[in-house]
Amino acid sequence: MLAHHSFTTTAELKGEHHMVPEVSRRQFMERFGITIGALGAGASSLLLPGTAQAQTPAPGPKPKGNIPDKPYKTGHMTFFTGPAAVLGEPSYKGHMLAAEEINAQGGLLGKRKIETLKADEAAGTDANVKELRRMKLSENIDCFTGVISSGNTPALGPVAEELKVLTLFDDGCTDFLFEKAVPNPHYVFRVTNIQSADGIMAALAASTAWPKITKIAHIHPDYSYGRNAFDHFNIAMKKLSGNIEVVSEAWPKLGTTEFTAHITKTISAKPDLLFCSVWGGDYVALYKQALKYDLYKKMKVATTLAFGVAPHALGKDHPEGIVAGVHANYHFLYPAGNKWPLNAQFVKKYYERWKEYPNFEAEGAYTSLYMLKMPVENANHLVGGWPEDDAIIAMLEGLMYESPAGYVYIRPDNHQGYKDAITGFAMQSKDYPFPIHDPKRVITVPIRSITAPPGYAKGEPTTTYKWIDETWPRVS
Amino acid sequence: MDTLLSQILNSLFYASILFLIACGLSLVYGVMRIVNMAHGNLYAFGAYVAAWTVGLVAGRLPDVNPVVLFVLLLAGALAAGAAGAVLEPTLLRPLYKRAEEYQLLMTFGLLLVLEDVMRLLWGPHPLTASVVSDALPSVSLLGLTYPGYNLFVIVIGGVAALALWAFVYRTRFGVMLRATSQDMRMASALGINVKRVYVQAFTIGCLMAGLGGAVVMPISGAVLGMGVDALVLAFVVVVIGGLGSLEGALVGALIVGFVRTLGIMYFAEVELAVLYLIAAIVLFVRPAGLFARA
Repeated sequence: MLAHHSFTTTAELKGEHHMVPEVSRRQFMERFGITIGALGAGASSLLLPGTAQAQTPAPGPKPKGNIPDKPYKTGHMTFFTGPAAVLGEPSYKGHMLAAEEINAQGGLLGKRKIETLKADEAAGTDANVKELRRMKLSENIDCFTGVISSGNTPALGPVAEELKVLTLFDDGCTDFLFEKAVPNPHYVFRVTNIQSADGIMAALAASTAWPKITKIAHIHPDYSYGRNAFDHFNIAMKKLSGNIEVVSEAWPKLGTTEFTAHITKTISAKPDLLFCSVWGGDYVALYKQALKYDLYKKMKVATTLAFGVAPHALGKDHPEGIVAGVHANYHFLYPAGNKWPLNAQFVKKYYERWKEYPNFEAEGAYTSLYMLKMPVENANHLVGGWPEDDAIIAMLEGLMYESPAGYVYIRPDNHQGYKDAITGFAMQSKDYPFPIHDPKRVITVPIRSITAPPGYAKGEPTTTYKWIDETWPRVS
Repeated sequence: MDTLLSQILNSLFYASILFLIACGLSLVYGVMRIVNMAHGNLYAFGAYVAAWTVGLVAGRLPDVNPVVLFVLLLAGALAAGAAGAVLEPTLLRPLYKRAEEYQLLMTFGLLLVLEDVMRLLWGPHPLTASVVSDALPSVSLLGLTYPGYNLFVIVIGGVAALALWAFVYRTRFGVMLRATSQDMRMASALGINVKRVYVQAFTIGCLMAGLGGAVVMPISGAVLGMGVDALVLAFVVVVIGGLGSLEGALVGALIVGFVRTLGIMYFAEVELAVLYLIAAIVLFVRPAGLFARA
């Protein structure tokens, strides 16, 4: 392992630092496996009631041995109050939908009903750590799930390891978690994509659509997520577009809903492109204000989370043609139609249960619980009875799971879930009361093309940043 | 040039909103000596009620005259005022004889409760009603595109400042208000019904907060957390201007409005720190704020 590790680094360093290879844009796209558009059936086929039949997932194989009928306790921590409740509520709804479905079949292995304890992530990092301890020590939870903020997973991860509690984070997607905070995870897993993918996907989409952009303006929330988006967008753009120039920066506090001065500053810098990772209610306020200043007529715009928060949070006035990110993760219209029936089924079930469309948190929390169910069944099949946590963990490592969003692969070395990243261009459609991605221009990228591979020497600010800097060719 | 003009207008716009929030906070403190922590969420409550009312009417009657929608914004102000009229006699009055900590705890508790009430009533998603701001098209001046609605907000801020000044300094009720503010016992001995003055002052303070929330809603939306954010900024404003002084609230709002814009333009990395820095400097030079009474 160690030998392989250092071999890779030296080779890469030697190969790239002396001579940055140049490739054409077309070669680049082919080499990276970037796919644009051609979604087959098109977006409208997901309209409800859809063509896909909502099915109850088939029960697993018949359990072996004696299974206790004691409830399986999960602690689900997410934002139930404050501005981030806009993400927290779908997370809880996704979790509950999966729990209800599994319980309708008798529970895990047909015997152990899933019982969910809620915890409000808005309590703050210290309180969240205490709550995790309490849930393990007093409530004796079997599994810990949820968590949205990237500020919280690095604090909760080490404690989960210490408490030896099986943990499936749905989000809190900072690269930092498995690079620094929990470098050798045993009990901790994370299901959704990695933060660095957000900035890189926006750069790929923007440079593909508008190859000539060089002058970039930034507006980001002033915390780790905004910084991460800023760094990774810039390093990817450096490779994709050559000489980029950052002409304006604005760092509003998370929770800002008054952007007039930021907008004027951005416009006055005359950029080709505005890149922005503002999200939630902040984003809604930003786009509504930017419209009034004619910002969208003066520059191209790329975002990381415009469509991520909730499909129905945006209005018919949302501008078209901008790169509308979904946290590089999941949008309910993709994979489209019957191309990937699991998605159509999930969307239909979620809509019927909660009367709204799912976002990436809903899909992540739903998938997490099913990614627990499958290893439990596999481990039971091998050893019989209720499996020990270590047996479940062994089955989770390297698991390839078919989620509504596509295949998710749990890398055994860092316990991170990997799935293809997605973004697209905003379009108003008569089929939905909110904007969707233009079905002809959805961009998907194999996650391995935009994330540092196993064993790559760690770097700053993230390993992926260093990997891009050292190994990506430059588009000529 | 157009950038400069635009940023001056942006600063005035932001100062207007800040003044609408901070004047109520200052008025309530000036008269009642209560730091009303719940003030931020009364502002948010005004925004939610206005968004909900406008959304309801605009949804039912798509061709309604925009003037009606502007009038409907007042629903937010009235709702927040009504909430104030109920809260003061029921929850605050029993605590006047106790130490200040109790009042702080009560109003802080109210801040949290109101936040949850709004989430229960309207859910976690941002509530918007941009049909109001869409009714005023962007205007072109000197080659500059500027949102018409923002100009409207600047006017509202100015009118509110004038109206409050006239109210406090040119009416009989204003005299009672100032008398109570200067010496509650003496005012009471002279026959002023202090209880009534208190509930009226508190109601007016909440009304102003609700008005602030209502006028900002068409462009910022009503979102969870907006109240706490506004409260922090309002504190910066009144710390600079002097708690309890209306002139202070106005000057403080203008200072914060312009300094924030300067910060965004030239010190983007420390946008928020700039405001606290100004507050710290003012506290250092004039510990009670610029317009505080001795």
